[in-house]
Parts: sequence; structure tokens; C-alpha cells
Amino acid sequence: MDIQKIESKRLGECYYRLAHPSGLKVLIYPRENFNSVSAVIGTNFGSVYSRFVFNGKEVKVPDGTAHYLEHKLFESEDGDAFSKYAKTGASANAFTSFDKTCYLFSCTDKFKESLEILLDLVQTPYFTEETIAKEQGIISQEIKMYDDSPDWRVMMNLSQGMYHNNPINIDIAGSVETIAEITPEILYECYNSYYNFHNMVLAVVGKITVDEVVGILDEKLRHDEPVETKILLPEEPYEVVKNYVEQIMPVSVTQFELGFKEAGKEERVTLKQGLCTNIMLEAFAGDCSPLYRELLDEKLINYSFGSEYSSGLGYRGVIFSGESSDPKAVCEKIRKAIVKLHETGISSEDFEVAKKLMYGKLISVYDSNFGLAVSLINSEFRNEDLMSVPELFMSLTVDDVNERLKEQLDPDNYCLSVVRGDSE
Amino acid sequence: MMAEFIKNSVCEGVTFSYMAETRFKNSRQGVTLIVPISRETAAANALLSCVLTRSCKKYPDFYSLNRKLNSMYGAALFPSVRRIGDYQALTIAVSGLDDRYTLDNEKISAQLAELLSMIMFEPNIVDGHFNDEDIEQERRQLIESIDAEFSEKRTYAIRRCVNIMCADERYSIGRYGSRDDVKAVTHKQLTDAWEKLLKEAQVELTLVGSADPEYALKGFSEYFGNSPRKPKRVAPQDVHPTQVRHITETEELSQSKLVMGFRCAYSDDDVMTIESSILSSILGGMPTSKLFTNVREKQSLCYYCTSSIDGNKGIMLIDSGVETDNLEKTEKAILEQVDMLKRGNISDSELEDAKLAVKNSFKSLMDSPSAMQADYLGSIMKKNPLSPLEAAQVADSVTKERIIELSQKIELDTVFSLVGN
Repeated sequence: MDIQKIESKRLGECYYRLAHPSGLKVLIYPRENFNSVSAVIGTNFGSVYSRFVFNGKEVKVPDGTAHYLEHKLFESEDGDAFSKYAKTGASANAFTSFDKTCYLFSCTDKFKESLEILLDLVQTPYFTEETIAKEQGIISQEIKMYDDSPDWRVMMNLSQGMYHNNPINIDIAGSVETIAEITPEILYECYNSYYNFHNMVLAVVGKITVDEVVGILDEKLRHDEPVETKILLPEEPYEVVKNYVEQIMPVSVTQFELGFKEAGKEERVTLKQGLCTNIMLEAFAGDCSPLYRELLDEKLINYSFGSEYSSGLGYRGVIFSGESSDPKAVCEKIRKAIVKLHETGISSEDFEVAKKLMYGKLISVYDSNFGLAVSLINSEFRNEDLMSVPELFMSLTVDDVNERLKEQLDPDNYCLSVVRGDSE
Repeated sequence: MMAEFIKNSVCEGVTFSYMAETRFKNSRQGVTLIVPISRETAAANALLSCVLTRSCKKYPDFYSLNRKLNSMYGAALFPSVRRIGDYQALTIAVSGLDDRYTLDNEKISAQLAELLSMIMFEPNIVDGHFNDEDIEQERRQLIESIDAEFSEKRTYAIRRCVNIMCADERYSIGRYGSRDDVKAVTHKQLTDAWEKLLKEAQVELTLVGSADPEYALKGFSEYFGNSPRKPKRVAPQDVHPTQVRHITETEELSQSKLVMGFRCAYSDDDVMTIESSILSSILGGMPTSKLFTNVREKQSLCYYCTSSIDGNKGIMLIDSGVETDNLEKTEKAILEQVDMLKRGNISDSELEDAKLAVKNSFKSLMDSPSAMQADYLGSIMKKNPLSPLEAAQVADSVTKERIIELSQKIELDTVFSLVGN
């Protein structure tokens, strides 16, 4: 088994990468001075995988299937994983996002036992009519909890206002109606395709050694034959669906998200593209920018204001979000500032300040074992290597950022999503 | 790695606690001022901590201060206001890149220490007044923060339950004071609050990182060194409910929220905080707890049903999100589990599982500077604050008899339901 050492001399950090004979890709990051270990195993199967090809056959699943599968995988014939973790003291959890599902634990003792539980969990699917029915009530309450969350609603409404067909416009947990259509057969089909080890990555960070982890994997893992899987994405037009979407909820502060859609592409955004966009956003809308100052001085935003780049399979866009007494005014000011930004570009001075700030943020990820494990999984799914980030970042120039800007922030291709109380 | 704070007394009422750490990319320094929370001063104190971090004499406005922070690799300067039992704790912290990772060997930590001391001692006060623009911007934002607490219904319902339950106690005063009080804070109240806090508050200085503690301490020891104080203490109010209150409010929601407030034993001995965490873990703090297994897994009534105990007050809250039709059924199911606990129906494995989970969480937090700082402040008002490692050892020795003894002191006080459609 070939074990590759990947390091950053600048940061004095390193981890090991190996392709296990089981098919699983494994990233091991020993940190002997830490007390805890965080382990995360992920599959690149999330809520947007509503249509895919599995060994030549097309599969279509109800909305919310990936998330349902996450819940049900915790159960096996010999009991649920939580009660097994309780015997090691590990704190365990799982989450489903648009493009992946992850299972994790962190522990300070009994690492071997805890990792064995995690590996068993993903290798022993047990779905019956009865266990599936039991979960309906629980997940329905989870869905309703999100229905009442203004943060979640303002975000989902924005996706629906921006994207016509891309399944990012569908709620991760599905709806009470769609989850009722889920059967054991559907779950097994998803499991057999995307929980094949060739579609999975394991990251272990903390007080462990490479040999220790590899020993456990050799003992526990089945060997998977590669499978053919491919997500099927519908065509997505360039234009947004609408410019404005609003929901009334019992809130006393109005929340907004303002998205600028870009041409969606099959392939993911590259590391360089992503870093350039983040520097651009910091210079354009960070808390030292003229835009931020104008919005704050006019009392249109508060410190909750922020921006992010949201991209994935077939979708790309910049999102500004926050609380405001007048989101439409914020929207107009941002659009005007964008027109000007395209004329002038980012200045060298602003670029330097933003770059320094971003550098500080980038390396903060190393301060959390769990954060680091998730970052490792993300980079692996993108075929990138985490340790190359600082060097690539240092090499970026203001011209790179301005070149990238040309394909972003179309001031006319926007959607404003607002959640407000009904007092107006 | 046995991360622990080393405590030094600067003078009476002022402590400097330092943790030498080379494991992290960021270092963190903070000043915390602690006073008994009161309706008269809570809002002014909270607003003050926001105004202080917005500017200072040297960087007289938000933008010049932020530009300075950004040039230091995006160092963060932030106020946080929390309640520790019946006390209000105002922390101003700076966190930034550890000196070992700067690109041109800049000594960020020294600059941050200097900045933090300027923020505290050389604010932007002209003719006895803080800047008008700073005050109005921060006042508006603080009011928006208070209003935003209404948006997240789970947090809001918990807050409502506590307010109803402790209406006549300090504990019902919000960490920011009330919305009306924030609106009404005057210039003079703000300047007075600043002077008074520096003179009378209990002061906790903390530093986590590889920075030189001598340097970090310098500005503060010079200032506080000659200013000993006897921090005020308030006696905890021992309240026993005479009858259970049921309060219901309605809102346009998909899911109803149920919050049950209980009184439980309180002591200023930190050992009891650990015992209470174990009790709460057995009842509803983890996925194998009584509440999770029975209310969620067996009866499928909810997605979450958890318990938590505030060891600085002696209050336990259990909350869940359920269908309106199931509110009564859930309340009953929860009370059944509380009764099981009181009757001593605790298996050996339930106790062992809870101990393991509590030990794991104490030992894990030693891997995070912010968690270490939060844990340190969480037990600061106890007569014998335990370090995470000591807490983990105490957890190990807790007996079933002790948990049953504490369970029997639990009394239901208030049931609050936020009823949706």
C-alpha cells in the first residue's frame, strides 16, 4: 500500500494519504500534542443526487432520500450505533449536505473501538419497512423545525428564486410527502452505489498514528469492486427564476439573502477560482470596503452582514446576506457598486489588505481537529490537496482576481430573498 | 497535553490567567469584567462593551480600527456579553495569528496586547462623552440583536420560560438588559458604567497562545496594579415552586415548542456542577439518554428532546419541538422519565455512559482555545473552580446514590408552550 506524505513547510504541518485496498481513500493526520481524535467518513452523495446512473442503469429517488439514509444507517440488526458509541464515550453525529453525507465522532479514549463502530456503521445497512416507518415521525419533526427557521427559509427561497432545475432548489430533508415514498429498496440502491468505498473518503485527525489507523482498517474493511456512478443534472438556464421572493414569518428583524447567479458548469470551481473570489469579496464587501461603510452609515445593515461564494455541481453564485430594515435599498446599492466594480476592478492596495486578512482566515482551520477533518474530506472530493492552499494563495496577483471577476457578479442576474414579519 | 490555566493575582479582585500553548495557529487574549447583573446597569454595560470595541483614541472610528485589524491578518476584536448565574460578564477579546505564522515575522501578539489595553483604558471619549455616532450605531445594532432573539423559536421559547419562571429574580434579566433600557441609555450612564466597571468589577485577564505573558500583562498590571477592589457578591435566591405554572402563547408556526423549567439543587461547590452534568446526561443530554430513547426513538414524538442544567443557578430546562396535538402527550412522557430518575431507576450502564460522555467533553475542550476560555469563565464564580482535567476526575467518582439524591431535589416550576398551527 502506497502511503504518500503531504506537507506544508510554511505551516509545519503534514498528513498522509493512502488508497486502501478496500477502495476507500484515507487521510491520516497525526497530531501527538492533542488530547482528542476526530474521524469523519464521507460519501459524495448528498441531496442533489436525485437522479444518477448506477452501473448503466438510471435511478431516480424521492426528495430527502440521502438525508433519510443518513438517519437509517445508524441502525443495524444488532442495535443502534449511538448506544455502541456510549460505551466508548465518543461524541458522534452525522450530517447531509447538498453534495455529501458525513458520519463522524470525536473521542479522547478508546479510539480503536470508536473507529470500529464508525466503520461498522457504514458497512452494515439494515433497512426494513418497520424501521423506515419509525423514522417518519422523527424526520417530519426535523423538517417542521426547519420550516420555522428564518435562516433556513431565506436560504432555500433564494435557491428556488435563482435556480430553475438544479436540485439545489430542493430542501435537503425533502418534505413530509416525499419522505413517505421512501422504501427499503430505494435506500439499498443508493447504498450500493454511493456507499461503495470507491465513492468514500475517511479522514482521521488527532492523537493517533498512521500504523494504528491502517491496522484497524485492514482488519475491518470489506473489499469493494469499483462501480460506475454518475450524477445526472438537468440543464440550467443562465438567468435566475425571479428577482424577488418574500416570505412572511413571525420575526421582528427582516432577514435577506441576495444572490448573483453565474453560468453553471458541470465541473467544480477550482481552488484558484474559489480563492480569487474570496479575496474579491473581502475587498469589495468586507468591513473595510466603501460599500460596507456606506451601508452601515445609512443604517441599512448591521454586523451580521456578510458575503460568500456558493458553488457546487452545476450551480455557482455569490451571496450577500444579513438583517436590514430595507433589503431592497441594500440590493440597489450593491448592484450599483457592482457596476462600478466592473469598471474599476479591485485596486492593488485593497487586494493586499484583503489577501493578508484571508491568509489569517485560511490557516485558522488548523485550530480544530474536526474542522480539519472536514476540510480534508472536501479537498479530497475536489481532487485537491489541502497543503497546497497556502502556497497557491501566496502566488495570487491582483490581475488573477480581476480576471476572475469578469465572469462573476452580473448586476442584472440577481435574486433577492426576504423573510419579514407581517407588521408592514 | 494537559492544557491548564496558570493563575496569578495582579492585586485583589484582579487575576491574570495564562496558558502557554504552541499547538494553535491563533492566540487569544481577553479581559472579562464581572458584576452582579441588575436592571439598572445591564443595558448600559452591554452597550458599553459594544461601543468600546468600535473605536479608541488612536483609531477614532470603526473604519480606521478595522483597517488596523485587517492589516494584522484579520485579527478579531469582539465584545461578548454573557450571564454567569446572577452575574453579568463582559468580555472584550482579541484573537489573531500566532507570531510564528506571520509572513514577515511581525509580532502580532504585542500589537494585539497594546490594542486591547487601548480599547479598555483609552476609549474615544471627548469632553466626557463617547462619540455620538458610535453610540447610535451600536445602540441600533444591540436592539436588532435583541429583536433577532425572537426569530429562532427554540431559543425564544427557552428565554420566555426562564423569564416567566424567574420573573422576580435577577436571573430573568437578559444579558443585554431589556430593549427599552438599551433604547434609554444616556451618554452619562455610559461614561459612568465605564468608570465604575474599571474600578469595581471583578477582573479576569486571560491569555492562550505562545505570546510572551510579561508583555501581554504589562498594560493591564500597570493600570490595575494599584487599583485593588472587593468584587460584589450576591446571595443566590433559593426558590421552591408552590404550584406548577402552565403558560401558553400562540404563533404562526409549523411546529409547537415545549419548554419545562425545573428547580434543582444549587451549590457554589464546583463538584456539584459536574454531578449535575452527569445527572442531565443520564436524563437528556446524549443520544442514549432517557429522553432521547423514550420520547424520540420509542414514541417518535419529536426530533429533539434535551435537558440542560445551569450549574450557576440550579435550574434545569427540558425542551422539545412537537406537533400541537402531541404537546400534552410529550409533557407526560417527559415527566415519566424525570420520575424514573427520582425513583432511582438508573442502570449501571446509564451511569457509566454518562460519565464517559462528560469526561470526553471535558478532555476534548482542552483542544480548543475558545472552549478553554469559555469553560474557565463558566466556573469562575465557584469557590473552587475545577480545571477540565480535575472535572474529568471528579466525574469518574460520582456515585448513583448521589445522582438519586440530587434528582429528588428536582421540582417542576413552569411549563411554557409556544403553540403553532
